[in-house]
Amino acid sequence: MLSQDSLRSYEARCTQESPPACRRYCPFDLDGRSLMRLVAQGDIAAARTLLLRHLPLPHLLSQICDHPCEEACLRRDYGGSLAIRDMARFCLAYPVPEKRTLPLPPKRHAMAILGSGLTALTAAWDLAGKNYPVTLFAEGNVDDLLKSHPLWQSQDVRDALAKDLAKLLQKQIEVRPLAAKPDLAELSSAFDAILIDAYALGDRLTLPGASDIDQETLLWHDSICVAGWLSTSPTGHSYLLPSQAASQGRIAAQSMERLAQGLSLTAERKKDQAPLHTDPGKVALAARIEPSAATYSLEEAQAEAKRCLDCQCLRCVRACSYLQQYQGYPRLYARQIHNNATIVKGLHQANALINGCTLCGQCAELCPEHFSMADLCLAAREDMVAAKRMPARAHEFALEDMQNACENAVFLPDQDVSKPSWVFFPGCQLAAERPSQVLELYDILRTQLNGGPLPGVALAITCCGMPAHWAGQKALFSKHMERLRAHLEELGRPKLMTACASCLAAFTEALPDYPLCSVWEVLDTLDISALQSSAKARSDLPKTFSLHDPCTASHNPAWQKAVRSLIQKTGASFCEPEHSGTTTSCCGYGGLVACAQPDTADGLARQRIAELTEPALASCIICRDRFARLGKACWHILDLLLPKEGMSGECLGSGLSEHRTRRAKLRREVLARMGKEEGYPEEGIALAISPELLDDLERRHILRNDLTEAVAFAEAHQTYFLNSENGHRLGSFRPRNVTFWVEYSLDEHGFVLHAAWCHRMIVPGSGGRPANEVIDEQQALQKDAANVGGAQ
Amino acid sequence: MTMAPNYAPDEGSWLCAHCKEPLQQLKVPVFYLGSAFDVLLPRCPKCGMTFVPKSLAEGKMLEVETLLEDK
Ligand code: SF4
Ligand code: SF4
Ligand code: SF4
Ligand SMILES: [Zn+2]
Repeated sequence: MLSQDSLRSYEARCTQESPPACRRYCPFDLDGRSLMRLVAQGDIAAARTLLLRHLPLPHLLSQICDHPCEEACLRRDYGGSLAIRDMARFCLAYPVPEKRTLPLPPKRHAMAILGSGLTALTAAWDLAGKNYPVTLFAEGNVDDLLKSHPLWQSQDVRDALAKDLAKLLQKQIEVRPLAAKPDLAELSSAFDAILIDAYALGDRLTLPGASDIDQETLLWHDSICVAGWLSTSPTGHSYLLPSQAASQGRIAAQSMERLAQGLSLTAERKKDQAPLHTDPGKVALAARIEPSAATYSLEEAQAEAKRCLDCQCLRCVRACSYLQQYQGYPRLYARQIHNNATIVKGLHQANALINGCTLCGQCAELCPEHFSMADLCLAAREDMVAAKRMPARAHEFALEDMQNACENAVFLPDQDVSKPSWVFFPGCQLAAERPSQVLELYDILRTQLNGGPLPGVALAITCCGMPAHWAGQKALFSKHMERLRAHLEELGRPKLMTACASCLAAFTEALPDYPLCSVWEVLDTLDISALQSSAKARSDLPKTFSLHDPCTASHNPAWQKAVRSLIQKTGASFCEPEHSGTTTSCCGYGGLVACAQPDTADGLARQRIAELTEPALASCIICRDRFARLGKACWHILDLLLPKEGMSGECLGSGLSEHRTRRAKLRREVLARMGKEEGYPEEGIALAISPELLDDLERRHILRNDLTEAVAFAEAHQTYFLNSENGHRLGSFRPRNVTFWVEYSLDEHGFVLHAAWCHRMIVPGSGGRPANEVIDEQQALQKDAANVGGAQ
Repeated sequence: MTMAPNYAPDEGSWLCAHCKEPLQQLKVPVFYLGSAFDVLLPRCPKCGMTFVPKSLAEGKMLEVETLLEDK
């Protein structure tokens, strides 16, 4: 179960919403990224609003700030940091109409600030900005403020300060002369909170040093804060660091507010946020643009702003087209999944999000915080299944295919060794797609192993149950696995070797103690010189392959190593794509996405194909068939080891309908080896379907068997419509939760299919049952449901 | 939730092969996941056999099914 807490901890793990370096290092939380984005777009008014929202004494700071943001900027090594301070100056000088703001109601807590250094003025700015009545005790009159200040040098700085002070003095602020020895006790009784500017007051009062005061709060005692010390250089030289002095003013102002209101000084003050992970990747050098006059021209500013790298994490998102599809990132998705789980009425809008993840785990490998969408989506699916909220449409078709594989299951003991050391588990997909290679491989294994120290190889052809696991059907998965375990125990607990990475992952998940390995590891230890038909000598193979690791083997280094070693033994050469091994990408089949959301799955396959620069070579038959179907030549490792005439990387897989036929045939072949005969199932009617039409229909989850059944039913009961224009017949049949429609005609050879479609909705008068019977039944069901609902 | 109520065949002129009757647009309630809607569909006026056009099955009907599944 995904608890609220675990959802929240998922959310917290993704750093995509953390501030970029520039913002993280700005004491005023100014986001350089947004500033640059706005300037680049030419929206200087918005850029200005952003600055005014964050910066105290904005004109002054945009002149004198020592810009720690720029030190941190990730552009630094690629032509120089963004000119964030100069950009601020440009935006503030840019002529835009002043916005009139509504005056806030005055607050009652009276604030006193002693001194007029940068720290004091910043605090005054912040507090007056929030409409606290502020009394500033300063030497001389306002015009003299800062006069002795070391920064009070250039005319530009003086002008900037004059602008900020003019603004400040419009607020509720009173300037009073500073006493030679201010009486703190008296001030304390007159004001709700007090700040002493240490730099300005150091010679009038005995004040604590910076190291004596908690820098998080700057509280000295009672309701008195002290801040604004000079910084000291390693050589002992004292100097004023503007960003720090002003930042202390802001922190002090926040403490004063809390003191005046009697709130905790520390609660929820420090943000505990992991830094944004940014990997700038390959960045082209671009030199920093310096203003040609005192400030930038608009063109210069925009050119400079466009140098911003727009720092983001999105490492996982860039690699996964499913994560891109919803225009967000895992943190946002975790939130959406959380909302999906908690709504009672209304649409569960994150269902598609939850069922679109292939559970491949690549994101967790790429993410510096190991955020796993796979774990999140699988847990969400399990919760949906438990709450009976999983739409049947999502996985029913894949679970039916699993059912079919189980119906055709067959376990063949070794014909010569009574207690086999091994059981070969090819996987239901490989067995359905490549039955003859599977039997050939089985025979090779027996020949090689039976002479050695670990003789005896049984054969187990069935489904591993992975579809149930991926569908979130925990109970179904564990029931299936228990049954498999019983079979394996019956065979004497032989070591299981599989040719399918998903099977291996499923067994590892469910039977972690059972001895397991891949068939490739076993083959790699055997003498397979007879098999090494020397790929080099074969003219039909590409010179170099791009090797694709199946995502279910991403945590299986032994699989990966054995596959590479076997390929090398055949003499074929290969290269590694960008994502490979632990970070390999999914072909789109994983997590049953090819079933639930074929378009999402194809998007993932296409993204992977783009990374495979050479003709591909895969150790998973599903990956191979999916790539080939989308036009990417892809060989299976068995095509190197056990080549078949006419089999190339371009050949299309045989399709889901054909898989069912082949499974049944393979089962009969294996049974024959055990001396058992099984009758052939009754031949259905002959229905001609073009391969293109069948491929399209299979994608819509309509199989050949559904079509022949529907035609046979319509013909047997004469329940079809007739198109008097072209003689087409239209029949329908509802063998389970789906009604299948077939439009066909009859020619001299038999029936020909023209089109087919299906729906899940119940339409009385279709599907082979009389309309009234269905209406009565459905209305009775609705009445029952209403009674149950009413009784609760 | 509503389904625009009247759906004719996508093309052709259809008869019920059993009753040899031309189809008429007639009302029929359709059901899914505890909801019911009345729709006008091509039906045989005699035996009530009902026709679901491809465009309806793959269009509006699919849309409504998905909405109800996500509710
Ligand atoms: S890799 Fe993805 S999940 Fe991890 S922090 Fe970055 S955006 Fe978030
Ligand atoms: S490149 Fe842009 S977003 Fe990144 S740190 Fe620099 S200013 Fe900020
Ligand atoms: S498809 Fe794979 S990489 Fe993409 S989110 Fe799911 S588990 Fe992560
Ligand atoms: Zn009829």
